[in-house]
Amino acid sequence: MITYELTEQQKQIKELTHWFAENEIRPISLEADRLGKVPDEWLDKVNKMGIQLNTSSFGGDNANKKLAKKERQGNRLGVIATEEIAWGDPAIALSLPGAGLGGPPIQSSGTAEQKQRFLSIFTKDEPRWGAYALTEPEAGSDASAVQTTAQKVDGGYVLNGQKIFITNGGRASWVVVFATLDKSLGRAGQRAFVVEKGMKGFSCTKLVKKMGLRANETAELLFEDCFIPDENLLGGEELYQTAASKPSGFQVAMKTFDSTRPIVAAMAIGIARAAYEYSIDLVRKEYPKIGRLYTIAAELLAEAEQNIAAARYLTWEAAWKADIGVANAKEAAMSKAFAGQMALEVCVKCLEILGPIGLDGHLVEKLYRDVKVFDIFEGTNQIQHLVIARRQYAPYGVRV
Amino acid sequence: MTSFLPTDEEKEFIHVAKDIAIDKIRPVAREVEKNQVVDAFLVGELDELGFLALETPENWEGIELPLITQVQILQALSYGDLGVIQGLPGLGDAATLFRLCPDHPLLATYKDDIIHSKKTVALLDLTGNATVTIENKNDGWLINGITQPVRLASFADYIVVLGRDLDGLPLVMWVEVAEQQNLKVEFGDYRLGLLASGLGKYEFENVYVAEELILASDEEALQLIEKIRPRVQLLQAAKEVGLMEAALDYATEYTAGRKAFGQEIAKFQGVSFRIADMAMETRIANHLVWQAALEVDEDKASAGGSVIRALYRAHRSVRYVTDSAVQLLGGHGYVQEYPVEKWMRDAQAQVSLYGREKELLIQRGEQLIGGGTIGVNVR
Ligand SMILES: Cc1cc2nc3c(=O)[nH]c(=O)nc-3n(C[C@H](O)[C@H](O)[C@H](O)COP(=O)(O)OP(=O)(O)OC[C@H]3O[C@@H](n4cnc5c(N)ncnc54)[C@H](O)[C@@H]3O)c2cc1C
Repeated sequence: MITYELTEQQKQIKELTHWFAENEIRPISLEADRLGKVPDEWLDKVNKMGIQLNTSSFGGDNANKKLAKKERQGNRLGVIATEEIAWGDPAIALSLPGAGLGGPPIQSSGTAEQKQRFLSIFTKDEPRWGAYALTEPEAGSDASAVQTTAQKVDGGYVLNGQKIFITNGGRASWVVVFATLDKSLGRAGQRAFVVEKGMKGFSCTKLVKKMGLRANETAELLFEDCFIPDENLLGGEELYQTAASKPSGFQVAMKTFDSTRPIVAAMAIGIARAAYEYSIDLVRKEYPKIGRLYTIAAELLAEAEQNIAAARYLTWEAAWKADIGVANAKEAAMSKAFAGQMALEVCVKCLEILGPIGLDGHLVEKLYRDVKVFDIFEGTNQIQHLVIARRQYAPYGVRV
Repeated sequence: MTSFLPTDEEKEFIHVAKDIAIDKIRPVAREVEKNQVVDAFLVGELDELGFLALETPENWEGIELPLITQVQILQALSYGDLGVIQGLPGLGDAATLFRLCPDHPLLATYKDDIIHSKKTVALLDLTGNATVTIENKNDGWLINGITQPVRLASFADYIVVLGRDLDGLPLVMWVEVAEQQNLKVEFGDYRLGLLASGLGKYEFENVYVAEELILASDEEALQLIEKIRPRVQLLQAAKEVGLMEAALDYATEYTAGRKAFGQEIAKFQGVSFRIADMAMETRIANHLVWQAALEVDEDKASAGGSVIRALYRAHRSVRYVTDSAVQLLGGHGYVQEYPVEKWMRDAQAQVSLYGREKELLIQRGEQLIGGGTIGVNVR
């Protein structure tokens, strides 16, 4: 049956996360942006409350075992909750303790022992983070061009190279790092490693300053003869042997996108909605109720509201497909491509509605600065177009 | 729980509709356009399958489906060709009136004729139209003026008129075309699209509608009109989604096969990215139509606004997607050997007929600012 209605459980999750976003996140949003960080005491407090950012819901974890008989809904719950949290503030959302984007590769490809070792550290005693490091100075959209090398030595591997733009990369307890055994093998030569904070030869060399998302850490990481023991090769040697003919490390990197892209889309939707609600409230309170300005505002708001809904339905569909176990790469890319772009457009429309006063201490200009990157990270808008087009042309045997 | 899987019954319907769209409708589309009428054999076949009576109530021998099912079937049928679908005779947009008043005593007197002689009914919405007046005279109403082009007008046997008289009284009237000497149809000079859809302008010259032919008046009429309009709008939006799907698939297949500069043109990103955008727009319009259909089925207070939103987006998207299809076929897209030029024309004609885009958008925006619906639609 087709339905756009949330279940009682979904509604509860939504209300709960919204309550948290409204009462705990939003009040510190502008201040965190000014400080360029989320206050430590705040992080400590929410960590004790058990609030974390969960970007993955691959099968096999405990929550899903309980639901085994019923239809899985982790992906849908994930996008519903994430929209609310990002509505509160996206930079704070991305700074919430938890495995972050590092979670999905560990859950989808890690051994049982690795899952236990790396995912069980996110406890209430102190806030901890995980991170995902693929991007390098010479490898962004083209993830197969990774230059960081991994050399096999006795008992492990030695990593050398640099990663850039890594979310929570400096504070993370561990980072999933993609490196190549042999550049000439291309994708097939790639492996994923879990590099732990404090490992010799691993350092954070810089935190970059950004247009927006200022409260969230974006790090450069350096690996200088950094020894990684065999047990930190993600998935273990078996993963790569069983799939000998396949570009496995690369696949680990790519596989996670189908579940994380809808999450990132949901964040963009939350941002757009925050800007929209802020602006419609202002129009209701301060605009004249007739005349040209009013008509223009009506038009801008109608367009914004519609695009927000459209993005949400695309995102729900992508999450639904993931939940029922159907290939969703195309839908995931659609949700991300559309949401990333529309969210910026919505913020632009809202700034138009606010006019010059919007420059001074209003939330919308911050949302505008924050939102731009949602059309860039987790695959740029163009890369999402490529993914969609590839799926679209697949039935005709043309690879674009 | 949010889900996008049609029911088994819906899947059955869609399957049959899509097959007939591809095997029977698409191949005759050019011919239908040339003759400016849908061939009786095809009409019979679609009628037999119930596809002319999806909205029609059961006691009028229809199948009275929920809107969510209807929109999916209309999408599948229009995948064949929108021009053909818009030319189908029968209750057309007026079916909704029958759906909402299945036991109306006045309509009941025409039941035999309409069902067994397979008569056609046009829906004429005069609300907001300044060129036609309805004036209260001697226990009846006089209609004067020339309407805008109306679908099915050139062959309709009856007209359902929605409007207000000069005193502002809302009315739903029944007009039997053959009984009205002072009513003429101006066939006009249509070239843009939907050429088989019986477009025509009604010329009313002191056309008298007696009290007995008033289906509803005042508050009752107002409520009826407010219920008819969103259903009609949404069914039209659904057809546009079907046309988009057709144009998307056609352009994808074409660009996968066509070569230039030594490779399939699909391999140029200017082409493949446009295809990706068409796919997204199609999916978006589809979602907004389905979502609105469910709200109308559930009689939600926010349904009217959701319908306006869906119709606006369908209009905008169908223009974009059909134009893109022509663009991606290049010169071939512009000539009549390929269907896409017709689809682009049909799309634009459809958009012209069913509501101005900017007006829909502003209307929706004013509703949103007015409050109330925000909680339902945005949160
Ligand atoms: C705030 C922030 C946080 C980030 N967090 C992380 C993180 O946690 N982990 C991580 O690994 N990375 C992270 N990134 C990196 C991000 O994923 C990359 O920046 C992104 O994938 C683009 O890569 P690039 O910057 O090298 O751009 P490039 O790949 O150089 O792209 C430049 C332009 O070329 C276009 N382009 C490239 N290839 C194609 C093609 N084939 N067809 C058409 N157009 C193309 C792109 O769309 C873009 O417009 C983050 C980035 C930022 C800004």
